[in-house]
Amino acid sequence: MFGFYLVGLVAVAAAVGVVAVRQPVHSAILLIINILALAVLYLMLSAEFLAVAQVIVYAGAIMVLFLFVITLLTAGKEEQEAPEILSGQRWWAGGLSVAIGIVLILVLGQAGTRPEAAPAPGLGTLQDLGQALWGNGFLYLLAVGMMLLTASLGVLVLNRAVRANRTAEEVRASAPSEEEARKAVKGGGTP
Amino acid sequence: MIQIILLIVKIILLIAILMGGFAYTMLLERRLLGFFQLRLGPNRVGPGGLLQPIADAIKMMLKEDLMPAQADPVVYRIAPVISAFAALAVDAVIPFGAPVHVFGTTVNLDIANPSIGLLIAFAFSSLGIYGIVLGGWASQNKYSLLGGIRATAQIISYELAMGLSVMGVLMLAHTANLEGIVLAQARHGWFWLPQIVPLLVFFVTMVAETNRTPFDLPEAESELVAGYHTEYSGMRFALYYVAEYINMITVSGLWVTLFFGGWLGPSFLPPIIWFFIKVGIVIFLFIWIRATLPRFRYDKLMSFGWKVLLPVSFLYVLGTAAFVSGVL
Repeated sequence: MFGFYLVGLVAVAAAVGVVAVRQPVHSAILLIINILALAVLYLMLSAEFLAVAQVIVYAGAIMVLFLFVITLLTAGKEEQEAPEILSGQRWWAGGLSVAIGIVLILVLGQAGTRPEAAPAPGLGTLQDLGQALWGNGFLYLLAVGMMLLTASLGVLVLNRAVRANRTAEEVRASAPSEEEARKAVKGGGTP
Repeated sequence: MIQIILLIVKIILLIAILMGGFAYTMLLERRLLGFFQLRLGPNRVGPGGLLQPIADAIKMMLKEDLMPAQADPVVYRIAPVISAFAALAVDAVIPFGAPVHVFGTTVNLDIANPSIGLLIAFAFSSLGIYGIVLGGWASQNKYSLLGGIRATAQIISYELAMGLSVMGVLMLAHTANLEGIVLAQARHGWFWLPQIVPLLVFFVTMVAETNRTPFDLPEAESELVAGYHTEYSGMRFALYYVAEYINMITVSGLWVTLFFGGWLGPSFLPPIIWFFIKVGIVIFLFIWIRATLPRFRYDKLMSFGWKVLLPVSFLYVLGTAAFVSGVL
């Protein structure tokens, strides 16, 4: 139980830090710490695969992309307070999160925190999760797969929309052919 | 109690072996590069230059630990530690040899043997990138930042192909436990032949993941000074080197474990020696490639990762799945 409180404290402190610190890169680092602490909590609940997936996907890929964007955008910028558009949003956010916390504690307190029975052996392992996903839950897996495919196709389509208006001839006319480019390079090289 | 003492001894031994491996891999690389380039390499300190790593270590420890004035102090200091930690942690799940029997107890030659060992190795190695990107950012130097950003894009792109290339091995071995994978190879033959394409994809991606030539764009000295570690000096600089070389040893160990039977080999040598011999050969390959190939152009590197390695390994995974499930 001591381990749970320790890791939980780290997770909560990091989560508060994400919104409290000013420097975006520090926020990102604290979010990574939060994700890692959650992974340890999953591990304690014998959800091995979920823990590792959390680290690989969220800490190892998504947060790296976050950092990629943040480091590019904040490079060389002075730290300064951005003007707030919504006045008093901090107070609203604080009040609402405290309210949600109270509701959660009340609901969970009624439901009880102890599970009815100990988890079955092998729960949360790779085999178990594979059986669940590819067996009974295959339809849902397929649906999620379709949704993700649609989303990524949508990104491609949206990013190509500007270029699609140009005809093939226009593109050919505006861009120099490969031979011209090669000539230009050669010509530029001779004094 | 004895298990805990054993565990601590094993952890200390592993770190000692890896640090020694780092020191002598570096010396081996410098001497071999010398021979590849028709010169001698460092051969003055001790017989044949064997004490060179000690001299280097003393030099690095005595050097001043500099930090640029604009740098972010906490992140700047912690970034090399993240790199070295992630590199060391991956090795905890790699089995170095068959279990041995000492003083009446069975000792597994790995720190931990979880059922999802391979995934844990991937999880830790995916954290190593933070050391590079944060070090590059915290230096507040254009070249460092560019190096860090390049490393991010490169490692994210090649990690996908790397992950896909081991799927076939998982399917053939029916387990993600690294010891189980080695034992499966003892039964069914080593996986290099049935998985020849993933083997090559994994090799290319592991060279890219360790930021070694020809994929050393994050520290391309002709354009970025030294990339993400331009501003580092002393032991913090050395920690980046520790991370790079230990990563090299680690991915070599993973490659050997996944495709070349890990510690398996004819019985006239103990298993752990076979493992070290195999890893040594792979490290020689790393150095040979560094001496031979020039650096990639950045757009070529990206299109190679996304348009060649990823589709190829994906198709091979589908083929292996069809084979294993009996469709083919």
